[in-house]
Amino acid sequence: MDKFQKYYLSLLVLVIYSNLQAQVNCNTMQDDNCKKACEIFNYWSEFQGSRVSQEKLDESIGLCPDFSNVYMEKAVPYLKRGDFITWKILIDKAVELEPKKHLGYRGWCKYQFLRDYKGAIQDIEALEKIYTTGYLGYSSNGDYELHIAKAICYSALGQKEKAVSIIENQLAKKDHNIGFFDYYQLGVTYFELGKYDKALQNFEKQSKQYDFAENIYYKSKVSKIRNKDYLDLKKLALRSYDEGKTMKDGYTHHFNKVYRAQIEEL
Amino acid sequence: MSVLFLIPLLINCQSEKTVVSKYPSHVGDLEFDKKLDGDFKRCSEDGSYQYYNDSKGFQIEGEKNKIIQEIQKLKFKESKNSNGYITIRFVVNCEGKTGIFRMEQMDSEYKAYKFDETLSSQMLNFTQNLKGWIPKEIDGIKRDYYQYLTYKIVHGQVSEILP
Repeated sequence: MDKFQKYYLSLLVLVIYSNLQAQVNCNTMQDDNCKKACEIFNYWSEFQGSRVSQEKLDESIGLCPDFSNVYMEKAVPYLKRGDFITWKILIDKAVELEPKKHLGYRGWCKYQFLRDYKGAIQDIEALEKIYTTGYLGYSSNGDYELHIAKAICYSALGQKEKAVSIIENQLAKKDHNIGFFDYYQLGVTYFELGKYDKALQNFEKQSKQYDFAENIYYKSKVSKIRNKDYLDLKKLALRSYDEGKTMKDGYTHHFNKVYRAQIEEL
Repeated sequence: MSVLFLIPLLINCQSEKTVVSKYPSHVGDLEFDKKLDGDFKRCSEDGSYQYYNDSKGFQIEGEKNKIIQEIQKLKFKESKNSNGYITIRFVVNCEGKTGIFRMEQMDSEYKAYKFDETLSSQMLNFTQNLKGWIPKEIDGIKRDYYQYLTYKIVHGQVSEILP
């Protein structure tokens, strides 16, 4: 099995795991109405965005107004379909009821769907105050641990040194599972700081984990800056791109995504 | 006598039928309006597919990079108070043609907001003129689908395009 197959297999496992996580164990609910609300939530969440699903989620809210998951679930289709005003009203309610559970998710969505870097940092830093042991969990798509997501936001705001420091600290933690793009994002941030040795080290680490066109493109860029032969790497980056080995996100685009035309221009 | 007995039941049935949900068939559905949408035609009435319903996600010829390049050619009026987001949702039909454009504007705090009309019209026209949307093929059939573009506005300039 090649590295890419492994990558997609792990992604699939993660998606299944996330879906299972969305389900709530209703037997833990003490109140009968809340238990019923929970069962409605579990069943109708599968029909996300449909009229009947939204109506049933309202019914669930009526039965158990403090059940935060319902507001979150009701908010999701608005987020995915670009009605961010409605999304925000609903997700704020979920966060208000259970900040511990929803702050990280709201922060991630602010970044992923709106590039609201400051808003995302605020939420993730508020979460850090709750989870003082340091574990924050992952982005909802599983691509980034939330410290790394925060670092990306700092990088986008131009605070590159701070971004590097956060990622390095996170990667040094024994319990950190290396994410799909951690080394790449660190490498690009070093690249932007002009620290090409460090950048290359991280691109090489990324290649060993699994390689993709954007990572090869940056290796090629470093070679070009150093007046070394970069054309073979450029060709490889284009080939990888055409084979579909790129940074993918079914909903949005990755930070530091590189497009085919940009590789061609190198 | 038996007919009289049935009357309340029939009334009940009728009143149930007239209950109008506050939700559309699917969140985000757009209604065709001849005045606004002219001759645009959906290929099918089953218009509930979203751009993310297949593994390919956002699809336009030249990728999002093309939109980023084209927007850089536009000239915007600097305005320190213009911050927030303009989102334009629309339908891409099975031929890749676009229509039924609807706009939502909000400030940086996610509250409804109205940008200067020059800017909002500029963004609407820009979106309407984008070509090269790729129809989605789901279950072997080319489908209409919903797409949106969000423009992040910082000081009256487009700083990011989403999704």
